[in-house]
Formats: sequence, structure tokens, C-alpha cells
Amino acid sequence: MIPAAFDYERAVSLDNAVELLSNHGDEGKAIAGGQSLLPLMKLRLARPTVLVDIDRLSELEYVRDAGDHIEIGALARMADLAKDATLRQHNPLVAAAAGEVGDPQVRHRATIGGSAAHGDPAGDLPSVLLALDADFVIRGTEGERTEPAATFFKDFFETALQPGDVLTAVRVPKLAKGTGWSYQKFHRRAIDWAIVGVAAVLERDDGNVKQARIGLTNMGLTPLRASAVEAALQGVEATSDAFRSAAEQAPEGTSPPSDTNGSSEYRREMSKVLVRRALEEAASR
Amino acid sequence: MWTSTQIPHIVKVAMTLGLGIPESKLRIIAPRVGRRRRGDDLNPKIVDGQVVGGVIQGIAEAIYEETIYDDNGQLLTSSMTQYGIPAASEAPAVTVGRSVTPSTTNELGVKGVGETGTIASPVAVVNAVIDALSPLGITSIERPLTSERVWRTIQQAQGGEAR
Repeated sequence: MIPAAFDYERAVSLDNAVELLSNHGDEGKAIAGGQSLLPLMKLRLARPTVLVDIDRLSELEYVRDAGDHIEIGALARMADLAKDATLRQHNPLVAAAAGEVGDPQVRHRATIGGSAAHGDPAGDLPSVLLALDADFVIRGTEGERTEPAATFFKDFFETALQPGDVLTAVRVPKLAKGTGWSYQKFHRRAIDWAIVGVAAVLERDDGNVKQARIGLTNMGLTPLRASAVEAALQGVEATSDAFRSAAEQAPEGTSPPSDTNGSSEYRREMSKVLVRRALEEAASR
Repeated sequence: MWTSTQIPHIVKVAMTLGLGIPESKLRIIAPRVGRRRRGDDLNPKIVDGQVVGGVIQGIAEAIYEETIYDDNGQLLTSSMTQYGIPAASEAPAVTVGRSVTPSTTNELGVKGVGETGTIASPVAVVNAVIDALSPLGITSIERPLTSERVWRTIQQAQGGEAR
């Protein structure tokens, strides 16, 4: 539980962070709250030789109503997101999921940018952001660009971020009135990763499902969309029976891990239960 | 001088059949003992703390704690990340009751309380879960009651093997 040796540099500005990180290429890693990266370093599953600390770049710690969407600064803490008035009004799913992360100590340090940049398929926010079709704002040596959630999460702990890139913000849509949402996290203890998690966004039109978007936590190498469930619900009447039957397809296209918290088979079965519960809760909102 | 403790526990548990877990919906009543022949506990706060802490340690034994090895003998639950010690977030409300029967085998009439909590709570929790599952014909289940193990037990009882 002791990390490999590393050097430490503190960025004094965003430009400085990009410069420091690009100097170190593959060897450098940005650190903010450290709630995802440090555990991996302690297990020596991650061994960056240089940590560039961006934790004090307070200009990245905000939630902003940007008209048609909400922009969340990468350094916004989970604890702040959980009680943020703008989010609670326009996108309560992000607030609720942020409130489910770890325990209070973790939530006061952990940042939304860190959770996304880490690309951990067992993290709560990545699957939520995927279900919301969020956009990721990235600053690199070539300037600023945005990447949609559909292509941001590339592989196991791998995102669209290149060496020298800093994730500066996440943009999430404002959920229209009448849009249902839910985040179902199933875990043993507060500090444990989700055995399975399900994020659901449910748009209805006159009692029928207009569009369902479902994100799955810890069901594969990346956060995943439950595409088969989404397709099965398209246009059908929003009833418990419809949810139950569509949820049976939750494990389709997934490859959940087996570990001491649960077998792969168990995770597949639980994903059905949790997708159904998420849809039912979403429909009740 | 060692004297035995008295440790009846009462546990209520609410199950969720879909996920097969006790979901920490536990209510536990444990007695506290260890009193002088006349008067109160030697130190009531210490006795309460000892009992509550012990009860939760017992719950950990019932539900969370397990040493798991892989086929090569490698310990998989080697850190606090994997080995399930519960924290305050997992602790249910524990009601500590009183039951006073001074010991007759020593001059002070005292009894120890050290293991009062730990001894009975694992058994009480497991029995409560078995009671909750008894409509399915389930009469025993192995510790610790991980959600997957409870789920598999339910699957088997409902006919068919848990694949």
C-alpha cells in the first residue's frame, strides 16, 4: 500500500498545467482530489513518475448555467455537486450520483473531472455522464477541443485525453420538465465501488417512452450504454411490464468482471434488477 | 476471575429478494450486563461502547468479513479495500437494553462485558436472515452473507441451480 516513487510539481495556472504535463508525456499524470488515482498508485497499478498537481486551480471549481446546458468545472467536488442548486434544478441526476460516491471524506476531495479523466468503469460519474451524452472540454497544447461522451471513454482506464491534455469542464444537458431520472448504485459498503450501477434518463411523450438513455457502471472495460434496453423501450408505453421485459436485455453486449464483490454472472443478473428499478424510479419522477 | 456473560440478542432484518441482501436494515437489541451487586455499571459509557462495538464486529462476521484465496493460494482480500470491515455508514442503530443478575461467584457480584456484543450478533443476524428466507424452505446458509451468496441460495431454493 505504498506507491512507487514519484516527483511532484504544482501547476500555478491551467496553461502551466498543460505545459508541465506535455513536458512529461506518458510519465506524467494530473492529480486533483486524488481519490481515484492514489488508491491505484498505492496498489501500484498506476506508477506515474511525475504528478502535476492541479488541485489549487480554483478557477476550475464551478457549476455554471450556460443557457441550453450546464457547465461543470473539472475541479468541482462531489460534495458540492450533490447540493448544488443549479444542478438540482436542471440536472438532479448528476447531483444525486455525486452524492452516492464513496463516503463524506471522499466526496469532499473527489472531483468530477478526476472521476471522468480516470475512466474507471466502476466509477459512478462516468456512466452517468455517458447516459447524459455529456461533452468533455479538453485543453491541450493545440488549444481547446470538446469530445462527446460516446467517444471519450476508450478502454480500461483509458480516455480520449492525450499526454499534455487537461480535462477542464464537463457539459451536461438541462433535463426538460417531465424527464425522469435515476441512479441505482448497488454496493456492499459506502466506500466500496459499485458492484453494478445504473444511470437512467427517461423522456416521455404522452405516456410513451420517447427516449431512454441508460448507462451501466462496472459492467465492462468502460462505462457502457445498455443499447438493447434503450432500443426495446423506444416508443413503447411506459409501464412496469415494459420496463421489466426491456430490463432483461441489460447484460447484452457487456463483459462484467469477476472479483471478490461478485461474479460476472451475478453482475449480469443484478444489472437486470437495477435497470428495472432505475426505469421505475425514473418513471415516477 | 472469569465469569460468563449473558447475551441474548434480538435482530429484525428486512430482506430484498431481488438483490438478495439484508441491506443493513437491521435492528438489534443487545442487553448490557456487568453490574455491581448494588448500583450501576462500573462505567456505563464504556459498557455501552463495548457492547455496540462488539455487536457491529459480529455483524461484520455475519455479513462482510471473509478471507478469500484464489486457486494458487494467493490471498485476494489482503487489504481493507477488499476485506469487508464495516464503517459508521454501515452500522445499524443498536438499542442496548439491561438485564441485571449479579454474579454469585465473586464478592463484588460483577461480570465481564467484553464479548457480550460479538458472541451473539453473528448468530442472531444469520438466524434472522434464515427466518426471512424460511418461506422459501431455506434452513441454513453459509457465512458471510454476501449479497451474491444470499442470492444464490434464493435461486437454488426457487428451483434450479444458480448457474
